[in-house]
Parts: sequence; C-alpha cells; structure tokens
Amino acid sequence: MCFKWVAAEGELRVDPATRAVDASSARRKISDYDRNTIEAARVAAGSIGSELVGLTFGGPDARTGIKDALARGVDRAVHVVADEGARADGHVTAHVLAAQVRRLEDVDLVLCTEGASDTYAHETGPRLGELLGWPVVTNVRELTVEGRTLRAVRVLGADLETVECDLPALVTVVPEVAPAPIPGLRSVLGAAKKPSEQVPVADLGLPAGAVTARTTVTSFLGYVAARRRVVLADGAAQDKVDALVAGLAQDGVLR
Amino acid sequence: MSEDTEAVDVIVVGAGLAGIACAYRLALAGRSVVLVERGTTAGSKNVSGGRLYTYALEAVEPGLTRAAPFERAVVREQIVMMDDDRSMTVSLAGPPAAAGDLPASVTVLRSRFDAWFADRAEAAGVMLATGIRVDSLLIEDGRVVGIMAGGEEMRAGVVVAADGVNSFLAREAGLVGELSAHAVGIGVKEVIALDAATIEDRFGVGPGEGAATLMLGCTAGVHGGAFLYTNSGSVSLGIVVSPDQMTASGTTTHGMLQALKAHPALRPLIAGGTTLEYAAHLVREDGWRGVPKRLARGGFLVTGEAAGFVLNLGYTVRGMDLALVSGVAAAEAIVAGGDLETAYRAALDRSGLPATMRAADGYADLMGIERLYRTYPGLVLDVVQSMFTVDARAPRPLRTQVRAAMRANHVPLRAVLRDGLVGVRSI
Ligand SMILES: Cc1cc2nc3c(=O)[nH]c(=O)nc-3n(C[C@H](O)[C@H](O)[C@H](O)COP(=O)(O)OP(=O)(O)OC[C@H]3O[C@@H](n4cnc5c(N)ncnc54)[C@H](O)[C@@H]3O)c2cc1C
Repeated sequence: MCFKWVAAEGELRVDPATRAVDASSARRKISDYDRNTIEAARVAAGSIGSELVGLTFGGPDARTGIKDALARGVDRAVHVVADEGARADGHVTAHVLAAQVRRLEDVDLVLCTEGASDTYAHETGPRLGELLGWPVVTNVRELTVEGRTLRAVRVLGADLETVECDLPALVTVVPEVAPAPIPGLRSVLGAAKKPSEQVPVADLGLPAGAVTARTTVTSFLGYVAARRRVVLADGAAQDKVDALVAGLAQDGVLR
Repeated sequence: MSEDTEAVDVIVVGAGLAGIACAYRLALAGRSVVLVERGTTAGSKNVSGGRLYTYALEAVEPGLTRAAPFERAVVREQIVMMDDDRSMTVSLAGPPAAAGDLPASVTVLRSRFDAWFADRAEAAGVMLATGIRVDSLLIEDGRVVGIMAGGEEMRAGVVVAADGVNSFLAREAGLVGELSAHAVGIGVKEVIALDAATIEDRFGVGPGEGAATLMLGCTAGVHGGAFLYTNSGSVSLGIVVSPDQMTASGTTTHGMLQALKAHPALRPLIAGGTTLEYAAHLVREDGWRGVPKRLARGGFLVTGEAAGFVLNLGYTVRGMDLALVSGVAAAEAIVAGGDLETAYRAALDRSGLPATMRAADGYADLMGIERLYRTYPGLVLDVVQSMFTVDARAPRPLRTQVRAAMRANHVPLRAVLRDGLVGVRSI
C-alpha cells in the first residue's frame, strides 16, 4: 500500500492579508485517509497470508511516518527518499512508486487512497496502475481476494457497483473502506522491531523525464469561504427556529 | 509480537526531561526500558519558558551540552520592574566566556529539544512508545508490577512515574495527595517569531548568545512574574501566577500576557513578531515542602516534577535541570537494587538536589510577600524617577524622597522592615 507524509492541515497558517499559506511550522503526519487504507490493506493481506509492504515517496522527514505506518499494521516499510527541494507531481510520484513496486517481488495487489489530504489530486493510483499495466479499480469501499481474483465494491454516488478482476491489480479506496484504529502500546513498540528500508530516488535508475515534474504550482493561497453572516436575533424562539430551518432548506442544507 | 516486550526491566511513564534522562541512563546500563509518552512526539506536550542549566545535562552524560540542539547561550541577565506604564531594567552581562567554556545556562524549545533527547535515548536502546497514554498502574500484592494503557497490560520490574506536575500515577500509588491551589502556579507562554539579527540587535547579544529577562510588577498585583527568553529565531514570553488569587484580580492570565505585550518596556522588544504557539501549564511552587515523604514503594518510584522537584525562585524557574538530575538518580537507584527508597534517597543526595532545594526553602516566604508584585515595583519606580527628576527647585534629600514614595504607595516603614527581614532570612 502507498501512503503519503503530509503537513497537518489544521496547522497551516494563512496570512490574513495576502492569503499566502505557510506550512513551515505545521507538524507532519500520515495523510488521514491513508490510515484507513493501511487498515484495509492489513486486513486484505492477512486474509491471504501475504506480507504487507508500506511504500512512501517523500523527503527525509517522512522517516518519522514510517514508524507510524509500521505501528498501524504494515509489516515492512520502504521509503523512497526524494532529493531535497526536488519537485514532484503526479507524474513523478507515479513513476517513482511504479519503479519501486517493480523492485519488490511478487506483488499481487497495490492499494492507494483515492486522494491525499493535502493535494487530493486523485491521480497517483490510476497513473501507477497504468504504468504497471495492471487493472485499476477506483472508489472502492469494500474488497476481498479469493485465489487470483479481486472482488471490489465501488461507490457511485448513492449506488454501489461490484467489480471483479484478476490479480495483480491496483485499487484506490475511499476512507469508509476501514476504520483507522489508534495503535496500542504493543503495536507501537512492535513497530521498532519491523524492518524498513530507505531508497534514494537515484537508485531506482529512472530516466530524467520520469522524475521531472510536468506541472508547476504557481500559487498556494488560503481559501476563505464567504460567510453569509445572517444573524437571527429578532422574534420569539419559535420564529427564529422557523427562520433557521427555512434558511437552511433554501440553501439545500436541509431537504 | 515477540516475547521480549512482554515484560521489561523498567517502564518509564512520561518522556519529559526526567523520563528521558532516566530511561537513557537505564539503557546505557544495559536494562531493557520502555518509555511511554502520551504526546505524538516527545516534547509535543511540554511547555517551558526554556532556560536550562547545563550542569544537569553534563550530569546525564559528560559532553551532552555540546551535542544538544539548544537555542542560545545565556550571556545577559535582566530584571525589569514595572508598573502600568513605567519600567526599570537592571541588565547584567558577565565577562566574555573563554572560548571552549560551557555556557552555564542555555535556552531551549522543548518540542525540538525533547525530540532530540528522545532520539538519542532510542539510539541507546530505549523502546519509545509515543501517542500512548498510561491509564493506571497494575498493582499486585501491594507491589506495582506494570501499567495499563488503552486496555493493554504491560509488566515491568519497576515503573517510574515521570509524568510531570500533578502526577496521577504518584497519586494512584498513594505517595501524594491532591494538589492544592497554593502549591501551584499557572503558566502561560507564547513563542513569538523574530529573525536572529533582530533578536541580537534588540537584546544586545552576539550570534548564538541570548538574554534571560524576568519581569516583576506585571501581574496585576497577583503573586507571580513574567519571563522573556531569546531562542534562535524566536522569543519565549510567559507569565507564571498563583491561580488562587486570579479571580480576585479581575483579569485572566491570558489578559495579563496581552497587557504585558502592549507595555512600553516590552512592545519594542517583540515588535513585528508573529506568535507561533500559545500554551498553558501548571508549575509547582511549593519547593521542598511539596516533595512527598516517600518517593518510592515496591516496584515504583516517582521523579522529576511529578515528585515536586522544581524550584520557583522568582528570578528563574528551575524544573528542567532538577528533572534531569532526579531522572538520573532514579536510574542509579534502580541499577543499584535493594530497597528502592533507600537507594533513591542516596542517589539524590549524591546529586545535590535535596540540598539545593532545601537551601531555597525560604524563597516560598520571600515569594509570599504580597507587596513584591505591585507595591514595591511601584515604590522603586517612584524613588528612582524622583532621583532622576531635575528642575529649578533644590533637590530633596533621598531619604525624604523615599519616605514620600512610601507614603504615596501606602507602605508603612514597619511593613518594609518586616518584609526586609523575611527577605534576608529567606535567602
Ligand atoms: C510557563 C512555564 C515556564 C517554565 N520555565 C522553566 C524554565 O525556564 N526553566 C526550567 O528549568 N523549568 C521551567 N519550567 C518548569 C519545567 O517545565 C518543568 O518543571 C519540567 O519540564 C518538568 O520535567 P518533567 O520531565 O518532570 O515533566 P514534563 O516535562 O512535564 O514531562 C512529563 C511528560 O509526561 C507525559 N505524561 C503525563 N502523563 C502521562 C500519561 N498518563 N501517560 C503517558 N505520558 C504522560 C507528558 O505528556 C509529558 O511529556 C517552566 C514551567 C512552566 C509551566
């Protein structure tokens, strides 16, 4: 399974005047939804008696995330260490992850989260599946493996679709796929004893084109929602409640 | 899960300085140690003004100060007496330290410092478990045999409570009772970002050097004071006050801190800075009197601020250094074996901690003088101000000025004498 080491959203600072976002003082963490993915992957690997490898591509500080991933149930971790200051977009990330997946032997299934909590780009999983030449199943909320077949339930708005495909396959999952339990004392202590490996990007032997970002972030600004600032201060309590309900219904919050 | 974490020699609860020092020394002595911390990283929950006396780091391991990621070496000590809009600063800068000398005290930011120290302990073999809250002790036949955390049980030969001020483990073990409001001060602290060159300019220090500033008279008459420490790229500004007098003062600790930031003596020092973090925490104020009669029982001992090892001396809070040396003493006692209480007391005595704390015992009386927090700063400012006032009139003798200032501040001479006596006796 693939996970990403991101800045904690709650600790980003937005300059009130320029709306510039400063992530330098924010603590880092494993992207929230990836925690659900780790649990789903742990259960899936357990069901077929396979080893679960956690794979991350990120700067040197992502090392801290490795321990957390191991505590959450990954059996072994591989951290592809990005060069300091190098830019990565979906193209680069997918190439790096694909190269590392190929280096691991006998991979049957790769799980990615639908999107990371920082960029939410929805592209790493599908791109990775394409590079590996594997079937890709997205938006998955339930999965089971039987023999060489994967069965997955996909969320389509309010409907569910069940899909089957052969392994190896790539699946992107939504957070509902599994709960994300907080690791206990033994899991946390056990993490220190599990193997992990750091691989410099250069060791993957990728051509320059594969590790050069094709998109450039030109600005990163805080989005300040325009608030309606409606104050319902007049009238009896019943009138205020009625006005609130009517207002919420009008905005489509209540149906 | 492998067998070897099923039971370990020692479980240390709390990765503050006491806990890390204890676990580190135990690991160096070849013991298997689990260090449990509820914060997601060591230091993430720790609030300190941030002045650390380095003798204590050297007591953990010679040479540790040099290896530590401290912020600045303190080379300037300042005391500011203030009232609502006046201030008088006494600033002491020592002779330049000889090259190669260890600074006597340094400033630290706990999130960075504790994380580094915990990493070092891990490298020495300590098994660190962060993000885990210990819920209770496991007690069998009158002996502490382990801990419970999140429904999981873990056993150890000895459990060390290094869980900081208001230790519930020490309470559960029956070594201490409930904390009273008189026993603690409440501290609030802000870290304000400023670039290094600005800090060096404003505080008159060189690169890597810093200032430690204590402020009196800024607590609306409430027992307490404020501090300002320089870090590499920020300053730590905080106030420590007695909670039991807060309600009467009509303000809050937060309100006091904001008023202090706007004070003419302080505003220019922090101008243009942005607040990076804000935190509140308790700190023990009862000195040696607050240290429990028993520090250990079968399979259990208590160390650091959990054991009341902290000194609030008015001009400085010493909690981190005492945490370090007491953590070391706890480790030595466990390694020595035999009766824990006896071995621990002996190790503490060797460290000099009880003597240091007893020597400062009278400070509680000195700090108990109410007039210290509003009346005397005002009085001193009045006298000094009149000393510096020159006009066409013949100057009045100093003693007349002092008497006038005492009258204006409603302080009778016998009160000053009585307070003076308490002050002299206590130090
Ligand atoms: C505002 C303020 C300013 C101060 N300034 C200074 C100063 O300048 N210099 C100085 O020397 N001292 C200062 N002190 C005092 C100093 O911070 C403390 O005395 C010192 O940190 C105590 O160290 P400790 O290791 O005993 O406890 P702590 O540093 O408090 O560490 C206790 C640790 O235990 C963890 N813990 C608690 N309960 C549990 C549990 N149930 N399970 C798992 N983990 C748990 C906590 O998360 C914490 O990490 C200041 C204190 C305050 C409040």
